[in-house]
Amino acid sequence: MPPLTLEQARAHALSSAALVAVPMDSARAERVAGYIALTARFAALLESAELAPHSEPAELFCPAPFPAEPTSEGQGL
Amino acid sequence: MSAHSAQASEAALSACERLGQALARIDATDGRIHAFTQVLRERAWREAEAVDARRARGEVLGPLAGMPYAVKNLFDIASEVTLAGSKVNRSLPPAATDAVLVQQLHKAGAVLVGALNMDEYAYGFTTENTHYGATHNPHRLGHLAGGSSGGSAAAVAAAQVPLALGSDTNGSIRVPASLCGVWGLKPTFGRLSRRGSYPFVHSIDHLGPIAQDVGTLAAAYDALQLPDPLDPGCHAQRIQPVTATLGHGTEGLRIGILGGYFHDNAGPAARAASQAVAQALGASAEVIWPDAELGRACAFVITAAEGGSLHLHSLRERADDFEPLSVDRFIAGALQPAAWYVRAQRFRRVYRDRVNELFKHWDLLIAPATPVAAPAIGTDWIEVNGQRHPCRPSLGMLTQPVSAAGCPVVSAPIWPAQAQGLPIGVQLITAPWREDLALRAAMQLQRSAVAHTKEAAL
Repeated sequence: MPPLTLEQARAHALSSAALVAVPMDSARAERVAGYIALTARFAALLESAELAPHSEPAELFCPAPFPAEPTSEGQGL
Repeated sequence: MSAHSAQASEAALSACERLGQALARIDATDGRIHAFTQVLRERAWREAEAVDARRARGEVLGPLAGMPYAVKNLFDIASEVTLAGSKVNRSLPPAATDAVLVQQLHKAGAVLVGALNMDEYAYGFTTENTHYGATHNPHRLGHLAGGSSGGSAAAVAAAQVPLALGSDTNGSIRVPASLCGVWGLKPTFGRLSRRGSYPFVHSIDHLGPIAQDVGTLAAAYDALQLPDPLDPGCHAQRIQPVTATLGHGTEGLRIGILGGYFHDNAGPAARAASQAVAQALGASAEVIWPDAELGRACAFVITAAEGGSLHLHSLRERADDFEPLSVDRFIAGALQPAAWYVRAQRFRRVYRDRVNELFKHWDLLIAPATPVAAPAIGTDWIEVNGQRHPCRPSLGMLTQPVSAAGCPVVSAPIWPAQAQGLPIGVQLITAPWREDLALRAAMQLQRSAVAHTKEAAL
């Protein structure tokens, strides 16, 4: 991932703030852009880590706990 | 007086006598420390009198009977508003019940004295809270107490209470414990119930105790344990008490000292503290933690995204009511691309597996908790081995890679000469669910007087 310039980070701050309806004046955009650029450096490090397509996220949604014991009218019948 | 004899003499007092001492100490010192945001005198007296009444009736008392304690103000306290260090939360209704961990300490007989200062919504390592004032380090007023559980560590360091509860997402128990010279435990991710505490980052939030000595830390930890199926982040299936094995020592344990990232990002005092612990525990082998820098990056990205998302509604409506030191970080987190967050969560699984693989070869690993001892309040930059780092995010650079993997850690208070009278913490890190080993090592360090708390000259 190429390094993010402060100008790009500022542009991202202004456009994405509009997308999620967060008020953003130019002074705030400047400060927020600094943090976006910092996070971008961490994100770039993670981009450089090798991940296989089957590497799944750390936590997965579980619809309900798996049943401890089969029930008489339950699975497998 | 040794910690053991101090404990014994405290236990001989009634709950009301101990509470009276704690309140007197708070009254005498908190104007300079600013650890408390609220002292709950009426409730505390009611609880202390109830303990003494049970004692008078000859009833069996809990293991923490009569011990005064306080909680970071993100824990629910029945009938009080849970501020989480914010101004925004003042408009919330009071909590209906106590947080689960407060209920657990109540069952053990402890007496709740009040609520403690913190960084707003736990996003910080310094407790420089603009709404409620900065918490000062009891060992050097005008210096940072650390954060985000800064009030918790400072209250214990100032001997206002022997025990406090805090939270730790990226280091928020270990950083203030390090800077204030007290014992802190960040348990395994998923060990203790978080129900009834105000969240910061659901994927990484931990709760835990901070204490004046290892015996109190372990007794509190045992009392706090309760498998909680109603907390989706609580993975513990049963209680695993540690108090009975606390004195078993570390003989036979495979102990290493972390090099690489943890050495490179530690200043001279932090390195000396780590070496002192390694020497005391007979460890000489240098061990490399896998992908430490990536682990920190992963925690940083997840924290920003989840923290920002959690507060998005308030950031739209009331950004000017947020802490000026962290509001722009919250907003930046809410605006970051989803691809960054998803990649961080995918990396976290791989990372966890690599860290768990490391613990097939080691039982306990040693690393400094902070790169430096407590900087002055208001410090913007710190220098570590000739490298300049922004102070506020960088105080957690040695704790973040460990909590990203969810491992339990005890922070042990060390007083190296290089820190010129200030303490610095050393992390005792073990495999997930092995808090017992970290606490055994902590007890050994306390018994040999290598690690200990010190009376603050207030």
